[in-house]
Amino acid sequence: MQYAPQLYSAALRMTRNPADAEDVVQETFLKAYRAYDSYTEGTNLKAWLYRILTNTYINKYRKQQRRPSEVELGELQDLYLYKRLGEASGATQSAETDMLDAFVDTDIIEALESLPETFRLPVLLADVDGFSYKEIAEMLDIPIGTVMSRLHRGRKALQKKLWDVAQEHGITGTPNE
Amino acid sequence: MSSGCDHAIEYVYQYLDEEASFFAKSRIRVHLRRCPPCMDAFEFERHLKVVISERGKSEPPPELFDTLRALIQEEREKNELGM
Repeated sequence: MQYAPQLYSAALRMTRNPADAEDVVQETFLKAYRAYDSYTEGTNLKAWLYRILTNTYINKYRKQQRRPSEVELGELQDLYLYKRLGEASGATQSAETDMLDAFVDTDIIEALESLPETFRLPVLLADVDGFSYKEIAEMLDIPIGTVMSRLHRGRKALQKKLWDVAQEHGITGTPNE
Repeated sequence: MSSGCDHAIEYVYQYLDEEASFFAKSRIRVHLRRCPPCMDAFEFERHLKVVISERGKSEPPPELFDTLRALIQEEREKNELGM
């Protein structure tokens, strides 16, 4: 039960819907209970549960969606958000980092949930739940190189969305032009 | 922008994710000590990761725990009955 809150939160970011999130978590716990024999004592229980959660989500919901195309995110600049916030704040040293504190929970959640699924899952697993590339590769059943490239593109897309949110909410201090 | 900057920015996420090789990590550390603009960018990305992790989570509904407990209990009883 100790991982239930984290699993629920992850499921909610994946499904973007509280009822579906609860379904996924229930199914995950049931599968974990039934498959407990296959869990190796002393290995990472959290990673094992997340693997079941991720598979449950993918099997249940991916087929309902149109085939996730490798959505063209366009070529975004490195350090996208840092540079945009830097331009908005002028030359003040470290102002960009201070501006991050203006983002509230709902801003971060909106940005995470806006990502296409292909990129959302690796970003969630790495940035919200802190799993290693190897663990994510095992959960999503993709090579580590693919994890890295999806994370790279997913994070850029997340930064672009956060910049959009920052502008909408006036975090940048400058009105939209 | 030097080649040290290019290298540091290329590996910024691997570095912050603690996935960079020993060689890449050492090279980046040396570079950051000498390059305040890159250090500033790294601090930003590090802080952003913390912000996403802390503010990207949601609390479960309080009844979730009861639901899960009941679910497992039911499953256990089914097993005991040999169903």
